[in-house]
Amino acid sequence: MNQRPPSPPDPMELKIVLAGLGGQGVIFTTRLLAQTAVALGQPVMASEVHGMSQRGGSVVSHLKIGGSKAPLIRRGTADLLLALEPNEAVRNLPFLRRGGIAFVNAENSLQPEVAEHLERLEIQVLSLPASRMAMELGSIAVTNVILVGFAAAHSSLPLPIDTLRETLTTMARRRRELNLQALEAGYRAGCRMQEAGSMRL
Amino acid sequence: MKYEVVLGNEAIALGLVEQGCRIVTAYPGTPSSEILAGVIKYKKRFARRVYTEWSVNEKVAFEIALAASWTGLRAAVAMKQVGLNVAADPLFSAAYLGVKGGLVVIPADDPGPYSSQTEQDSRLMALSAKVPVFDPATPAEARAMVAPAFALSERFGLPVILRPTTRLCHARQSLALDETQPDTAIPVVKFRKDPPRWAATPRMRYQLHVALNDKLRQVEAEFARSPLNYVVDEGTSDRIGVIASGVAFHTARQAILELGVSVPLLKIGTPYPLPQELVGRFMAGLRTVVVLEEPDACIELQLPDRSHVRGRLDGTVPAAGEFSPEAISAVLAEVLTDAGYKVNPPPNDPDLQNLVRSLSLPVRRPSMCPGCAHRSTFFALKREFGPQTILPSDIGCYTLGINLRAVDTCVDMGASVSMATGFYQANRLVGDTRPIIATIGDSTFLHSGLEPLVNAVHTGARFVLIILDNHTTAMTGFQPTAASEILAEDSDIARKVKIADLVRACGVTFVEVADPYEHNAFRSILRRAYDHSQAPEGGVAVVIADRPCVLYDPSPLHQNLTPVVVIEECDGCGYCVEAFECPALVLRPDKSRVDVDYKICVACGQCIDACYKGFIVPQEAETEDVER
Repeated sequence: MNQRPPSPPDPMELKIVLAGLGGQGVIFTTRLLAQTAVALGQPVMASEVHGMSQRGGSVVSHLKIGGSKAPLIRRGTADLLLALEPNEAVRNLPFLRRGGIAFVNAENSLQPEVAEHLERLEIQVLSLPASRMAMELGSIAVTNVILVGFAAAHSSLPLPIDTLRETLTTMARRRRELNLQALEAGYRAGCRMQEAGSMRL
Repeated sequence: MKYEVVLGNEAIALGLVEQGCRIVTAYPGTPSSEILAGVIKYKKRFARRVYTEWSVNEKVAFEIALAASWTGLRAAVAMKQVGLNVAADPLFSAAYLGVKGGLVVIPADDPGPYSSQTEQDSRLMALSAKVPVFDPATPAEARAMVAPAFALSERFGLPVILRPTTRLCHARQSLALDETQPDTAIPVVKFRKDPPRWAATPRMRYQLHVALNDKLRQVEAEFARSPLNYVVDEGTSDRIGVIASGVAFHTARQAILELGVSVPLLKIGTPYPLPQELVGRFMAGLRTVVVLEEPDACIELQLPDRSHVRGRLDGTVPAAGEFSPEAISAVLAEVLTDAGYKVNPPPNDPDLQNLVRSLSLPVRRPSMCPGCAHRSTFFALKREFGPQTILPSDIGCYTLGINLRAVDTCVDMGASVSMATGFYQANRLVGDTRPIIATIGDSTFLHSGLEPLVNAVHTGARFVLIILDNHTTAMTGFQPTAASEILAEDSDIARKVKIADLVRACGVTFVEVADPYEHNAFRSILRRAYDHSQAPEGGVAVVIADRPCVLYDPSPLHQNLTPVVVIEECDGCGYCVEAFECPALVLRPDKSRVDVDYKICVACGQCIDACYKGFIVPQEAETEDVER
């Protein structure tokens, strides 16, 4: 019968869901990751929301690195979730596949109710108080860049920190130094967490 | 070859500039707004001469592009799908009269809808107007379709539609950019007088209609040979086949792969006129054909025999809402299972999904920004006239005034003014004396508010119209209006059209310009306006609430910052959060008090009036209190 086994996923294909609230820089973050992937020679397809949703509501964007031409990521298939706000993280957890990883800007751990499901689905949640770190650096606006640096310290995001730094240098026309500091701060926090063994590779 | 990440709308713009389009006009509207900005970006980058403008509305934009085409230049006009309703008059006529230089009409559809009042399908508008349609699936394909679109338009002397949808407009894809393209010279063309053609009388229009029908038959034959329509996985199944167009094509392809089956998939890039012969050949022998297209049925509607077709018309495909990967997978899984195929189960985890749903996470609805002057206007008007007032409003950021219960109706661009007139006339018949206060933005007023205002004055309607003048088209990304001193591109020739002068010229005798930040003064002007609207010699009264959008021009705000604090006495009654709804005022979960979220507060001080108990005070005042 006309049936064939599911094709193995493209080895290069990486699906990332980015979530936050209007004004937190979800779209900038998506562009940063996408431009970096292109600089590494990878085709990308991303999807974002404009207009009324930008006025403070929930903002989600989908990024596919590696050749897919369908703009949206299906629930249960994303490799990574980058969430700039804890509630938006939880709301978008169902996008992650079994074994997926969430990088979350949060002071505390996520709602306890989800923990058992995350364990069952082998989903790892890695949290960082990125907003607090951003305020310490001088602006809440670089929270997103700190989270990107944090994720870049993990092997699941195959975008080298040097290439990210180069892309960010060209993209952040205003406050370039602050943005680069933010990327560095997030990256170092991620490295430290790995050394301490609290972040699985 | 250099690769860049390009927004779908910019990919369309790139195609226009690359193909020698010389005139591009538009009216901003999500999801289309970045097309014109993209044209300006790439014309500068490639040093091309292209005239661009933000026109006052889509009808005007269309007609300017049409005239350009009649001189022989390539022209394009971009808008959101409901903008094509506004431009429908010239669209239908232009299909008969035809074009000289290629004319590409770009209405962006919004399945969902995400930012629109309807989910209408511009391809059905094209079907009705008899205009051929190109339906791209990706930004790359949208860019690539511009060349065949212009070529077809010129060969047949027809306007053509290039129809993207939100997911394409706001997708970002890596595209190859060739920086070294030579500039093509402006073609040597000029408008040739031909009144029987360009000003055709009804008798001639009949001939033109006959000719149009003939052109469409030829276009259909050409589409049957077009590489934009092709089959993938041909011959893999004798039972089920899928026809898909637009963004749904790649989503369907992905879904078929994930379901673990192999079925032939026909990609349609030119849904109207549908190449019947090509589609017929594909369908021959298949027992069931699923049609996946957005946002409505256009291909499906054109199929002469739908007895074994499953799609929107037979209810297989949901008749509303966006095609998510989940929705397309569910449709395909159902049809395939019915036909005896075994398919892979969905990859999502329903337990986690149900749990997340059960947590009832706070839904952050969109709201007006901290410091937005619309909020101050709405607050003043509610305070002055109370909840009984009838409040027709319009399309823009201020539609969010619905959160403040300051918006009762939102129909389409400019409707606030005519709806107010209609309510006045109806209320007079039924003896309803409630005040009517309409609100409309500056860009929306210039788009479609003038004619209904003339109508209201002439027919003796009585209501207050507040024009919310924030000096820009804010919701769609700060495009200039005719009342500003800038044009789409840097230029010093813009003439500022004064809204107050326009209103006076419409015959309105009460016109006041006032700053809504001045709460008490603004309220008293609103009261005077209302009194005028009720006075024997009065009529429509217009108040122009003049304050720039804080995101667009924060300079007046920065000249007068008023940081605030919520003092200890705050009892958490929540009135300010409810009635003023500034995102920077946050009621604690235990409702003990309200805090200012200083991360987003812009220190406009407008909330001081929002606490009638006086618990929100200027920071200096509090410091003085402590010192005392």
